[in-house]
Amino acid sequence: MPELIPTREIFRHFPTWAQLLFYAIAFGGTLIFFYGVYSRIQKYRQGRPENRFDNLPGRFVQALTTVLRNKTIYRGDPFAGFAHSLILWGFIVLFIGTVIVFIDHDILRLLGYRLLQGTFYLWFSLILDIFGVLFLVGLVLMWFRRTLVMPFKLDYSRVDRKEEEYDRRGYATDDAVFLGLLFFIGVSGFLIEGFRIYADQPEWARWSPVGWLTAEFLSFMRLSPATINFWHATTWWTHAVAVMIFLAYIPFSKAMHMFTDFANLMFRDENVPRRLPGITEAQMKEGMGYKKITDFTWKELLDLDACTKCGRCHEACPARSAGQPLSPRDLILDLRTFADATFGTSEWFTQKVNGWDTRTAVVAGDVIKAETLWSCTTCMACVESCPVGIEHLLHIVQMRRTLVDEGNMDDSLQEALMNIGDYGNSFGQPERARGKWTQGLDFKIKDARKEEVEYLWFVGDYASFDPRIQENSRTVARIFNKLGIDFGILYDGEKNAGNDVRRVGEEGLYEMLVEDNMAVLQKARFKKIVTTDPHSYNTLKNEYPEFGLEAPVFHYTQVLAQLIDEGKLRFNKKLNYKVTYHDPCYLGRYNRETEAPRKILQALGVEFKEMPRCGTNTFCCGAGGGRIWMDDSNIQERPSEQRIREALALGELDYFVVACPKDYAMYSDAVKTSGNEGKIEVKDIIQLVEEALS
Amino acid sequence: MNIIVPLRQVPDLVEDLEIDASGKDLDREWLKYKINEFDDHALEEALLLKEDVGGTVTAMALDGDDVDKLLFTAAAKGADKLIKVTGDFPQPLSSHAIARALASAIQGMDYQLILIGVQAVDELDGQVGVLLAHYLGVPHVSVVTGVQVTNGKAVVHKEYAGGVMGEFEVTLPAVLGIQAARQTPRYAPVSRVRMAMRKSTIEEVSASDTAAGGTPEIRKLFKPEKGAGAQMLDGSPEEVAEKIVSILKEKGIV
Repeated sequence: MPELIPTREIFRHFPTWAQLLFYAIAFGGTLIFFYGVYSRIQKYRQGRPENRFDNLPGRFVQALTTVLRNKTIYRGDPFAGFAHSLILWGFIVLFIGTVIVFIDHDILRLLGYRLLQGTFYLWFSLILDIFGVLFLVGLVLMWFRRTLVMPFKLDYSRVDRKEEEYDRRGYATDDAVFLGLLFFIGVSGFLIEGFRIYADQPEWARWSPVGWLTAEFLSFMRLSPATINFWHATTWWTHAVAVMIFLAYIPFSKAMHMFTDFANLMFRDENVPRRLPGITEAQMKEGMGYKKITDFTWKELLDLDACTKCGRCHEACPARSAGQPLSPRDLILDLRTFADATFGTSEWFTQKVNGWDTRTAVVAGDVIKAETLWSCTTCMACVESCPVGIEHLLHIVQMRRTLVDEGNMDDSLQEALMNIGDYGNSFGQPERARGKWTQGLDFKIKDARKEEVEYLWFVGDYASFDPRIQENSRTVARIFNKLGIDFGILYDGEKNAGNDVRRVGEEGLYEMLVEDNMAVLQKARFKKIVTTDPHSYNTLKNEYPEFGLEAPVFHYTQVLAQLIDEGKLRFNKKLNYKVTYHDPCYLGRYNRETEAPRKILQALGVEFKEMPRCGTNTFCCGAGGGRIWMDDSNIQERPSEQRIREALALGELDYFVVACPKDYAMYSDAVKTSGNEGKIEVKDIIQLVEEALS
Repeated sequence: MNIIVPLRQVPDLVEDLEIDASGKDLDREWLKYKINEFDDHALEEALLLKEDVGGTVTAMALDGDDVDKLLFTAAAKGADKLIKVTGDFPQPLSSHAIARALASAIQGMDYQLILIGVQAVDELDGQVGVLLAHYLGVPHVSVVTGVQVTNGKAVVHKEYAGGVMGEFEVTLPAVLGIQAARQTPRYAPVSRVRMAMRKSTIEEVSASDTAAGGTPEIRKLFKPEKGAGAQMLDGSPEEVAEKIVSILKEKGIV
């Protein structure tokens, strides 16, 4: 008797017609799959062109490692990251297994070769069983999370509509179908294996541990061989049909995220929203920004399909948290629904179109309401928390450009923009008064337009004009002077740097400010730029280079931290305060500078307590993106007040330390309006530095 | 319907104003100008009327510093036609001189309405609109806050002191002195202003009447003078009343 070679038969006991039927079903499923993928690609091709094709191999490798490591999913939610990696790896291994079966059975076999036999088959069988189990465990964990844990971020409730005004059942069905179908495929796969092993009792059965255990379990039922074969055939067919339904379902459902998210991570721009794109000539002609869905670039349309509704942006958003009518998640999903309704490539479990006429509805204003767009503080928490590289902020600014073009904004914002246009500052103060804050100093700050300096200090609007902050500016000047830093300012030559003007969507005014500032900067003689304002810091560092600025840009905390490193800044005394530190969005998150301020605090010797949301995960004060110029009367609890609450929960604290003029204003107000005066005091880090130097 | 909106530039009160050597005018060398707030409302009302009933809006201004930018900003907001009125204008420009210059330029144009700011910071008596109507020989309503046009007539609301409103029907053409538009004057996006600078043209029309006169001569221009200071009276109403009476007696007034 010849030795049995371990293997398995693919079409066990199948007559030819059954084999043909399987190929027909498989062909149908594959056809629908490719049609779905094709129509998706056609959809993206209708977007505006945008070049995201530089360094394609690098982009590919980065996307691949991000996806395989589940890096962005672990960040901020290890449970979801773990469950997702089990499913992802299970799926990949089982998919590769299926491909090997296909190659072996439908290609090699016809050529007279066999791959799936002997030792290779045994290891193949073992590995697939193990990953099959991991796959099912991952699915169970996700089901557990979705139904029993039910974290806030998975709640599809909207902040901007009443419950009867929208319907999320489509999303919930898709979630259930997705998990359910995958679970069914996994379980039925093991059942087939179990029945086969029960029937055939191969000696190598233990190389398929789950199938073997299933067979052992089934054997308790003492079934007749005919019944076993019947059940094998039944489970085989349901499994096969389920797999083909799943294949066909992928491009019409949330399962598509496996492709769209890979592509989205591959084509993301790491510099958005640090650096925003300008307006093209073509856009200028047709009116700026976004009116039709075809005004979006292909990448932005891809963004819409990439969303998995994980809700991280929804949870992180300060506007949502303040009760304003903005949720980055719902914004993206509304745009997706509108895009699908316009292009006609709908999902299987779709949402109702929310009363828009796709022929006439304007994206910025009708589909996404003006009050939604104006709620954004551009804090970047959404972009930061998104595991799949969606650039929400870019969408928002693009749509704001349309609103600005149509004058669809609140009066106080309009006044601020007009002031900036007329006087170069949002306060409506005469240009010549910009350097007036220096009058309280006992020395004269150099005029960088007239004499050469090492550091050109770009002071900014709030630090120059807000009476509450002018004293902090003078403190910075005194410290710089004391430390022997060679610095100067531009006096009335400086204008608002334009960071927030650009993020409001007033691109023309931004360009004008950059031109005016660049004209002065190009005449001034300096080596480096230092700013007190993280907003100015961001645009000078990341956006001005496009307009010709070459000098390196620093935040004052970076300059001080460097002096500490070099031993040039030493404190005579240690400060015995308990403090916490608030990372400004535009410093900590946008520009990843979280170390310098902490280094200063450490050198000051204060007792430092970290808030739960810190570093790149900081929480916005609510002032960014032009919000500081807008009416905030529709807010339930200001983000700044929520933040003070977060700080007070740390226990007894003396100071809430900031490193941003707007933060100083916002949090000083918040301490008062939340009734916490006397419990905590807001200090700019420079005030502590001065105290420790005195 | 064709609407003409004469726009004026006024000194920007945000800046510190100085009086020149003659003591009769502002030192205009460093003066920053901006659009007269009421004219901005007149332009807004004109643009809203155009949206209501169609037609054209013509923005017009007497030649001067930064007038081009003023007109291009009007174009950015939606004005169809820009006219700069040129001429050898008398200085300082009085209300009469402005009205005559404008009237001589407008004479012969096809228009149904002229909307003009009811007053300006340098023309608080609000005479330009009235005089313009007079020189053109058309009806005029001043202190208008709302305009509706139907069947060749305008129905306008005029504001009186104490919150009293009057409704007038005016035959067209007419001059209306606008107190406030129905909504805040719209924002002119900078990119639109820049596009207007590149694409729009300003038509020049010379004023045939540039005569001076008709207004009193300025003898002296001066900043508000501080009084000697106020005396605060404390106490109950009766005590305060008694103190007032005694002071008035002391001064020989009663």
